[in-house]
Amino acid sequence: MTRGALAEGRDLLILVLDTLVPASAEFPGAGAVALDHVLAVAAADAALELLLSRGLKVVEEAARANGVSGFAQLSPDDRESVLRQVERSHSDLFEAFVRHTYDGYYGHPMVVTRLGLDPGPLHPRGHRIEAADLPDLARVTARGPIYRRA
Amino acid sequence: MATDDRTDVLVIGAGAAGAAVAWRLARAGIGVACLEQGDWVDPRAYPHWRADWELHRHTDWSAEPNVRRLPQDYPVNDSASSISPLMYNAVGGSTIHWSAHFPRFRPSDFRVRSLDGVADDWPIDYATLEPFFDLNDRMMGVAGMTGDPAYPPKSPRQTPPIPLDTLGVTMARGFDRLGWHWWPSDSAILTRDYDGRRACVNCGPCDLGCPIGAKASTDVTYWPKALASGARLVTRARVREITLGPDGLADGAVYYDREGRVHAQKARAVVLAANGIGTPRLLLNSRSARFPDGLANRSGLVGRNLMFHPYAMVRGVFDRPLDGHRGPIGCSIIGQEFYETDLSRGFVRGYSFQVARGLSPIASASGGSVGDRVPWGREHRRAYDERFDRTITVAIIGEDLPEPGNRVDLDPALADSHGIPAPRVSYTLSENSRRMLDHGIARAREALEAAGAREVVFNPLLRAGGWHLMGTARMGRDPATSVIDAEGRCHDVPNLYIVDGSTMVTCAGVNPTSTIQAVALYIADGIIRRRA
Repeated sequence: MTRGALAEGRDLLILVLDTLVPASAEFPGAGAVALDHVLAVAAADAALELLLSRGLKVVEEAARANGVSGFAQLSPDDRESVLRQVERSHSDLFEAFVRHTYDGYYGHPMVVTRLGLDPGPLHPRGHRIEAADLPDLARVTARGPIYRRA
Repeated sequence: MATDDRTDVLVIGAGAAGAAVAWRLARAGIGVACLEQGDWVDPRAYPHWRADWELHRHTDWSAEPNVRRLPQDYPVNDSASSISPLMYNAVGGSTIHWSAHFPRFRPSDFRVRSLDGVADDWPIDYATLEPFFDLNDRMMGVAGMTGDPAYPPKSPRQTPPIPLDTLGVTMARGFDRLGWHWWPSDSAILTRDYDGRRACVNCGPCDLGCPIGAKASTDVTYWPKALASGARLVTRARVREITLGPDGLADGAVYYDREGRVHAQKARAVVLAANGIGTPRLLLNSRSARFPDGLANRSGLVGRNLMFHPYAMVRGVFDRPLDGHRGPIGCSIIGQEFYETDLSRGFVRGYSFQVARGLSPIASASGGSVGDRVPWGREHRRAYDERFDRTITVAIIGEDLPEPGNRVDLDPALADSHGIPAPRVSYTLSENSRRMLDHGIARAREALEAAGAREVVFNPLLRAGGWHLMGTARMGRDPATSVIDAEGRCHDVPNLYIVDGSTMVTCAGVNPTSTIQAVALYIADGIIRRRA
């Protein structure tokens, strides 16, 4: 496949991402928020783009082997079954899909916000930890030295 | 070839040890030039200033040079090693990306042969190093508490300990229920402003650097003082070889500058501080008629006895939030219940527990150091939500023993961007280390369950865990069984010093940087004393 081939399979890729991380009541599916990341990392790495593009072909072929014309024609449950077949038969390329999907999904500001965190840069804000008393270590010190003198 | 002005002492490497030596010598009025293959890290370049900071952990800010592949990095063939070496090439070296957990070696660590009949004793002891530990603590700035019964009494820590927060308090309760030792970590991270540096803001990922200098990387601790004392630091200077004069003494080094031009830097003495892989690599690349097997390698031990600290990672999953995303990632608690030898456990020597913070959003999905990826598909949301901010990871850091077959040599085919042969690492986990880690996994499980974990998972050996590179030019009294003497001088080349983790005779069961720097300061003191 040539460079940019993954983007050409965009609709199928969205379905695959949504199967990996489906939408729920509070969280979007990965097709909505991880797509741009997956396309971007693939565009920056020809070997990865080739791998993921090949992965889409494998997914489509596995779907057809289930008696439909393509992955899109399957129900969500059957899509998951097809991807589990692909995971078993092509573990390397499937791992690449999962890794980059998770990276894009859990790096996305919308998802980070829904996890209850501030989605922006860590600095300069940092995190506030309330002042606390120093821990009570009386039990530990009561044992006396536990190191060997040498 | 350009020839630079001759200096008194040439230091190669500007990391933890090289910075300490450069400062100490320059402050004593000795002329110092330091060659560093990396550059200064601009504090504004750290990922923390970007919303996508976490994505950088596995790309341009990876701790693995083979992943990072920056121009200043060199490749390492680690295909024959069960642990991948980690390092950072910059002013500050690997202190740029370390977690700053800062325990000292204990007195018994220097007397392993005498006490336990294995490995070798060091030619120096804890008492000898104690003033240098204290000096180094003042220079780096250490957060902690005195009174730890696992150590001889220490001088006051520079700032109060890193806050335990919800996660640390939870884990401490587990140790307390079992009656085991624990203590707030000595951490080279400021909790109060100190020595012109700012206090930590608890952002979390110290492993990606510290943009405000609260974490003690030597670019913000030693180097400003070393430069003010007259040391000269040349960055993007990659040393090709150490050169010898007709008298057989080291007389400098040949290096490539940032434009690729070749320079000769002459010196009266040379100090190697290029880490436990870079130093043997450079010695083995410095062959001559006098040293056909590599400089200072008449013993054949240069590159041998490589020790990592093998890590096992044990993670407990709890039923409640632990606020684990805030606070320094690698520091809250150290546990040393199983540190000293007890042969009834089935192994010699021991290990520490290092309690780390929780996992960030992407690491929670991928499984981080345990690698237990959250399942994808219909179960994903539930599985992820049960884990995110509900985990505590306990690292077991075991004492590796020196074995000649674990080594660094030169790869016959691989080279860096200047064509200099690259290192090849061969490392097999010993049976003793395996039994030690297995013991630690079982005990960590107990501790996590005592703290309330409802589920415990573990990684029996962390492959991407080669933070500590030690033993490859070890110290000793006998030239047949060591590379350097008790003063840090190469037995074969007495004006060539080694001060990094290569010097370590044994590696203890704690993070080594505090001890590496104390040894470096001790060796620097000897250089000053002899010069006087």
